[in-house]
Amino acid sequence: MTGRLTGLGALVRLGLRRNRWSYLAWVLGLGVVAPATATAYETIIDPANADVLIATMTANPTMRAMLGPPFDLSTPGGFTVWRVGTFIVTMAGLMALLGVIRSTRAEEEEGRIELVRSGVVGRDAPLLAGSLVALAACGALGLLLTVSMTAVGTPMVGSLAFGLGTALVGSVFVGVGAVTAQLSATARGARALALWVLAAAYVLRALADGAAEDSAIRTWAWLSPVQWMAFVQPYAGERWAVLLLPAVLTVALLALAVALEGRRDHGSGLRATRAGRERGGPGLGSPLGLAWRLHRGSLLGWTVGMVLFGLAMGSLSTSFGDMLSEAPVLEDIFRRMGGGTEQLTDAFFVAILGIVAVLMGVLAVLVFQRLATEERRGHAELVLATSATRRGLLGSHALLAAVVPVVLLTLVGALLAAAYARSTGDWSQLGRVAGAALALAPGGLLVLGLAVLLHGWVPRFAWLVWVVVGWSLFMIWVGATLGLPEWLTRLTPWAPLPQLPVDAMSWPPVLGLLAAAAVLGAVGSVGYTRRDIT
Amino acid sequence: MVDTVKRFGATTALDGLTMEVAQGEIHGFLGPNGAGKSTAIRVLLGLLRPDSGSARLLGGDPWSDAPRLHSRLAYVPGDVALWPGLTGGEVIDLLGRLRGGLDERRRGELLDRFDLDPTKKGSTYSKGNRQKVALVAALASDVELLLLDEPTSGLDPLMEAEFRAVIATERDRGRTALLSSHILSEVEHVCDRVSIIRDGRVVESGTLAQLRHLTRTQVSAELAAPVPDQLRALPGLHDVVIEENRIQCQVDDPALSDLLARLSAVGVVSLTSHPPTLEELFLRHYGPGDATSDPSPR
Ligand SMILES: Nc1ncnc2c1ncn2[C@@H]1O[C@H](COP(=O)(O)OP(=O)(O)OP(=O)(O)O)[C@@H](O)[C@H]1O
Ligand SMILES: [Mg+2]
Repeated sequence: MTGRLTGLGALVRLGLRRNRWSYLAWVLGLGVVAPATATAYETIIDPANADVLIATMTANPTMRAMLGPPFDLSTPGGFTVWRVGTFIVTMAGLMALLGVIRSTRAEEEEGRIELVRSGVVGRDAPLLAGSLVALAACGALGLLLTVSMTAVGTPMVGSLAFGLGTALVGSVFVGVGAVTAQLSATARGARALALWVLAAAYVLRALADGAAEDSAIRTWAWLSPVQWMAFVQPYAGERWAVLLLPAVLTVALLALAVALEGRRDHGSGLRATRAGRERGGPGLGSPLGLAWRLHRGSLLGWTVGMVLFGLAMGSLSTSFGDMLSEAPVLEDIFRRMGGGTEQLTDAFFVAILGIVAVLMGVLAVLVFQRLATEERRGHAELVLATSATRRGLLGSHALLAAVVPVVLLTLVGALLAAAYARSTGDWSQLGRVAGAALALAPGGLLVLGLAVLLHGWVPRFAWLVWVVVGWSLFMIWVGATLGLPEWLTRLTPWAPLPQLPVDAMSWPPVLGLLAAAAVLGAVGSVGYTRRDIT
Repeated sequence: MVDTVKRFGATTALDGLTMEVAQGEIHGFLGPNGAGKSTAIRVLLGLLRPDSGSARLLGGDPWSDAPRLHSRLAYVPGDVALWPGLTGGEVIDLLGRLRGGLDERRRGELLDRFDLDPTKKGSTYSKGNRQKVALVAALASDVELLLLDEPTSGLDPLMEAEFRAVIATERDRGRTALLSSHILSEVEHVCDRVSIIRDGRVVESGTLAQLRHLTRTQVSAELAAPVPDQLRALPGLHDVVIEENRIQCQVDDPALSDLLARLSAVGVVSLTSHPPTLEELFLRHYGPGDATSDPSPR
């Protein structure tokens, strides 16, 4: 075995050096959320009517579906684990799988592992080095959580369970990324596969948590690694044995990845690539045709994913009636607040659509930034040496990036309402919620406009758009709990838009954002016709 | 191109480059690594905008008229990057259509000549085969001008010969080509005129006959007896170094047979000859002082 690991130490050091800033940003970003939430506990849960608040939150299936199972909300620690724990764990999984794929399959694809392998390096060393660095990042996050939660005054034992649980669940996704990096010959493919696993795990537990109390579906949550940290029950009578689940699965997945790597050739995936077409199809003759060809696989994946997500989340919306009839206290509260099931359902739609809208902004930026990859790899050079114009090339990627996410967002809106419409027989709900979704689309288009602007004039600063998107996602998911001033939490491209089933329609922000997006895009495309393509 | 300057930050890639490619000629573009060959071609393609100086291409401005001019030219990059998910055949068709159409008969003919399988995915081609995909895509279109950046890098000798034959027929059909290379002997076979570029400047330009002095053969031999001293005076010999039984010199091609006759008269123990490498040329013609200077900042 020693021979197969030769050079591991040096490769780990190299991996740490190359990825330290990105991992540091992830760990710090995620690490501050928990202590900040714990500190804000008193302001969120007003001690005067803590019981009612906690009862509401515990019984609310939307909140359960989005946040996880509440075990003990009466202490800052327990509340924090429920409110932001699942988010942190999911993001830790994302950090882990992106990181491990970046240092294994992506490096192999770019030809750098070949260089490394020609040196004195054992067969399993590159894969394990990438995995170890990602595991170290998960460990650092766990440590930071334990220390910072203890520092803000929550019990040390609970903090330790929280930190360990998060680190180990993150580690599972190191394993997932390591395995998918062997299955697919491209980093894109590996990322897509691993993201599917993470998304499936999240949705599975959302369905389980959102299901009725006595339903068998509840137990499905045990199948989702994302849930295992919560099941350790930090601050609520820790169940340490649960930690064995992620630990064993991580080891098993890493062993599987090593075994799979031994069975494939360098540079290829597990499946041999098949021969393809001899001639280009009729669509493959314009920049748009090419862009569609490049994107269609991943867009199909996104479509399937969003359809499933919309249907799954929509099915939760029908349980509100049951919930209210089971808990008369709550029904009373909602009556007094001026609504019933209807209002609760609308609030649920608003909450889900808010997240989906930002997610579609992410998709728009991902699709558009493929153009940057095309330039970096030298593909754009081939295209621009023909009669294709720069505007045509830019426009074809921007067009797909604008249209597809808006269509998907609207589709998710309609699907969200499907179950509710069926149970009430009121099919006009479909159009109503789809319209509500569409009203949020200008936010994503504005972000896309910013991406076009940056790419056209200062491609070096293209990452700035991710700051905007990341900030928005963060604010929408956990921002409200951090007790930040409202002007700060509303500093996102989506905040000015009307949240439709609940708010009334208001055209000025919608049209204003659309106009701003168009201007940014147009200015960006002018820049693109003026700069060097290198 | 007249007095073209292109900088990348602190690096000056083109430093007042002036050169001309006449219609109907095959023009060789020679220079060591980092000389600015690819940069010059990218300026001509309108991918880079020169900082100063001017460039004309097919009677138009390469920057502002790019799309229109590009329907009349075809380009093969030095480092061909194919889309991993597209097959070679799809790439050839795509690039041909983007250029405004390609000649079906020539497409098939070139695939045969270059012995290329068009059904493989881009990620599975070898370097040489990627190069062939780009060559077929470029040559199958009916265009006036070919811009070829190190077109033979990665090709095996058989395919290189095939490439030369194809270029020769292209010349006969009246096409113009600019092709870059590091290797003098390569452009010698196919080019009418040659420009040599170094550190972003043209240092030598002319027809092959005018550059004949560059194509001397380097000969070193060991003889059975001491080398007769009168060999030094032989016309067509340059840079002669004689040490007892050994001789090293550079020979103009017409003087070769005379030299060999004299050497064999003494009795040859061993003999090597090779065309001068570009580096030798630069060392000899342009001084060793800055031959090693690296223009890149790092
Ligand atoms: N995009 C860029 N950014 C910074 N420097 C560049 C860029 N492109 C080229 N250079 C620099 O410009 C100089 C000329 O490069 P160029 O690629 O034109 O050389 P070349 O003659 O094609 O070399 P080779 O024979 O290696 O292909 C080099 O010093 C190179 O480092
Ligand atoms: Mg070059």
